[in-house]
Amino acid sequence: MERIKKIRNFCIVAHIDHGKSTLADRLIEKTGTLAKRDMQEQLLDSMDLEREKGITIKLTPTRMLYTYQGEEYELNLIDTPGHVDFTYEVSRSLAACEGAILIVDASQGVEAQTLANAYLAIDNNLEILPVINKIDLPSARPEEVKKEIEDVVGVPAMDAPCISAKDGTNIDQVLEMIVKQFPSPKGDENGKLKCLIFDSFYDNFRGAICLIRVFDGKVKVGDRIKMMHTGKVFDVTEVGIFVPFSKTVDILQAGDVGYLAGSIKNISDIEVGDTITNVDNPIETPLPGYKKVQPVVFCGIFPVDGAKYNELKDGLEKLKLNDASLEYQPEVSQALGYGFRCGFLGLLHLEIITERLEREFNLDIITTAPSVYYHVFKTNGEMLELSNPSSLPNPVEIDYIEEPVVKASIYAPPQYVGAIMELCQEKRGIYKDLTYLDSNRVRVNYVLPLGEIIYDFFDSLKSRTKGYASLDYEMAGFERSDLVRVDILLNGEKCDALSIIVHKDKAYTRGRALTEKLKKIIPRQLFEVPIQAAIGSKIIARETVSAMRKDVLAKCYGGDITRKRKLLEKQKEGKKRMRKIGSVEIPSEAFMSILKLDDDDNK
Amino acid sequence: MLGVYIHIPFCERKCLYCAFSSFVNKKDEGESYLSHLLKEINNFENKNNEEVDSIYIGGGTPSLLELEELDRIFKKLHEKFKISFDCEISIECNPNSLTKEKLLGYKSLGINRLSIGVQSLNDEDLKFIARLHNRAMAIDAVKKAKECGFENINCDLLIGLKNANTEDFLNQLKTLLDLGVTHISAYMLQVEDGTPLQNLVKQNADLLPSDDECVEIYKKATKYLQKYGINKYEISNFALKGYECKHNLKYWSGENYIGFGLSAHSYIDGIRFANSNNFKDYYAQKLALKEKLTTKQLIEEHIMLGLRCCLGVDLDYLKSLNYNLEKNENLIYFLEKNIIYRENNRIFLNQDYYGINNYVIIKLMP
Repeated sequence: MERIKKIRNFCIVAHIDHGKSTLADRLIEKTGTLAKRDMQEQLLDSMDLEREKGITIKLTPTRMLYTYQGEEYELNLIDTPGHVDFTYEVSRSLAACEGAILIVDASQGVEAQTLANAYLAIDNNLEILPVINKIDLPSARPEEVKKEIEDVVGVPAMDAPCISAKDGTNIDQVLEMIVKQFPSPKGDENGKLKCLIFDSFYDNFRGAICLIRVFDGKVKVGDRIKMMHTGKVFDVTEVGIFVPFSKTVDILQAGDVGYLAGSIKNISDIEVGDTITNVDNPIETPLPGYKKVQPVVFCGIFPVDGAKYNELKDGLEKLKLNDASLEYQPEVSQALGYGFRCGFLGLLHLEIITERLEREFNLDIITTAPSVYYHVFKTNGEMLELSNPSSLPNPVEIDYIEEPVVKASIYAPPQYVGAIMELCQEKRGIYKDLTYLDSNRVRVNYVLPLGEIIYDFFDSLKSRTKGYASLDYEMAGFERSDLVRVDILLNGEKCDALSIIVHKDKAYTRGRALTEKLKKIIPRQLFEVPIQAAIGSKIIARETVSAMRKDVLAKCYGGDITRKRKLLEKQKEGKKRMRKIGSVEIPSEAFMSILKLDDDDNK
Repeated sequence: MLGVYIHIPFCERKCLYCAFSSFVNKKDEGESYLSHLLKEINNFENKNNEEVDSIYIGGGTPSLLELEELDRIFKKLHEKFKISFDCEISIECNPNSLTKEKLLGYKSLGINRLSIGVQSLNDEDLKFIARLHNRAMAIDAVKKAKECGFENINCDLLIGLKNANTEDFLNQLKTLLDLGVTHISAYMLQVEDGTPLQNLVKQNADLLPSDDECVEIYKKATKYLQKYGINKYEISNFALKGYECKHNLKYWSGENYIGFGLSAHSYIDGIRFANSNNFKDYYAQKLALKEKLTTKQLIEEHIMLGLRCCLGVDLDYLKSLNYNLEKNENLIYFLEKNIIYRENNRIFLNQDYYGINNYVIIKLMP
């Protein structure tokens, strides 16, 4: 049989917790790719953080060998992240496959992300193989779930394997179906080189590494290659595959999934979705679907201890090596001193980066409230692009402001349409249209300000639709909006790191909520501390933290001085996480509290 | 001059708030404890042959001891130490175990200071914290002590019990002062881990008066006592001039003291040590703690103890330990705001800010 006919490139998609990573582990184990003793639970999620959160962030492709009817097949599994922040990365990974396994939990049935992910796969023309998982649970109802998949997703599911990834039941059946049902890649190994970059990472010794899918032609060490969008040219120094650890091979050819290294020093030279071709024998048009990834959410990151600025800088530099989508530049705040303004793909991305800074680099950091990017048109005709509320010019100098908006598509069962529209209205959305996909599914389209989405849109949507709605969105340019900056004054002094930009209609409620929240967070001080919210010089809300009255250890008992000293030393440690703004001490979590406002309101 | 502390870890009953080292098993453990205590005193090596000028018998409830038992302890102390002629000798006692016979016995043993665990003169509160006496018994105990010729009498009171508001508390003070009490220890009730009181507070957060109310009572009480010429000389201690507790001042000024008995703490020539707080280990002479203070700890303790009491903090002493507190920006701020005041080379906490003592101390620690 022809080489390419024995390749299957596929991914696994699922609603969260339906068992994606567990199935991946079983496949690797069953094909003998790794001996059982080498298996670490959920092998593909390689970062601690991912394992802890149970979500996959970084993609790790794995080649497995599987013998079916006397023929050895090469199965390439490309794992995908399942969060809206990374939709583009997922879509590129899907573009590298011919098939997708759609896992559905046998008791929970079809859920929001089942559908969103299935559609994403269908959009990429993938063959879908439904798999019913967790049949070991007493509440499993595989037959009903199969019918649900057919009715709701619209994919035949009567022959879907019923498995328990946990127990290893019927894994063979899945492997067989992969071979039988998924098409082999099409492509001409003798044609001109055409590869898709679907991910990248940085290796200290080999430089930046591209994870690629070869569509046409072949690539080997010594070839001169060109990134078609960035225009960069490199000499290939290594090609290889993952089993699941990296292993060099002589050549990668049409249909293969693997990696390529070329002494690429800067990860920014590799863009996910870019097409690689051969310099000497190039193709004319790159693969479709490429987008330049741009950060959409921004925040300030500062070290709690000002002296740790350089360590923070090192940390960001190291993370950037592996993550081209992370952006940062130095920033100075009156309140927080020297730090960085950082850009992210979304809130989850932001959360991951800040957690990694704290964990992997052992840094205590302060994060300011996330913000989007604004276009500020000044009366003198100038246009400023800014994401930092404190850079906003004086109101009299501003002609108008534009904020980024997104085209949002929300999928949900019809009974939630009312709730969804109410939410979108609250979030300043503009209704576009509503489509019944079938009797169980509608799609509601809205144009929404990105600034509203990054607060708590996703969580509110989930809670108002019992988790059934799924959200997808894409950037849709900038629109003029009536925005103002709300400042926070502590003891009469403006704290720049607490300023936010909000729509005028929401300024009062936000200002009030913010002062109330800060009152809860800021501990009592020597003197009474007024907390005020202001637009310009106009105070719109006020709370007061009354003066501290009692902080004393009453009894020095029987000469036990040691205990008392230790208590004070401990208390002193706690004070280290405080920041002094003027004469007011505030705990570092106060700066993120702005983000959590809406969560509290909903409770 | 050396101070001697002796711990008697027995009570008739545990109070609701008590996290101290005390047990209700004197009947079973008493004799064996006493013999180990005497052995410990006997084994003590008084290296510098220091004279003793304060003895403090605390607990628990030392007044549970029979006179004969106390006599054995004092015989041993006299055998072992040179005791100065003006030595302050205190004993803690509970109102319900004080009899005239006992009081006269104390006199003859040389005890010259009584510390009576009144805690409150509010019967509701006394019941609430599970004391064995009531208001009448407490008043009677003070009267008896006076009749037996005791001049130097302290009464312990708790601020922050359930029923005593400011007025009630000030009335309690008046009653005691009119009886001729010379010293008041007024402690703000602290809810300690593992006490029955902590459980009650967990179930009902509003059970006790708020911090603000406690501080209010504390401040009013300070002012009230001043009118009687009874001045605050430590966070919780108030005395007529000349009646300050010499023994307690030793703890705060960094002088040597030796503690005998279960869980007793000692400080001798820069080394702190403590006996174990369980009988088995104590009998086996196992220490619970032994630490030689580092320079940093010496500094911290000096600041902590000095700002808690009338002794203040000696800036020159800190300088000799290489800590220049004068340069500390927090101190400059506190001086400016009159939270701390300075006399020559010493700084003192302004009385109005005793309630936030910890906060100030932490700000000045290295």
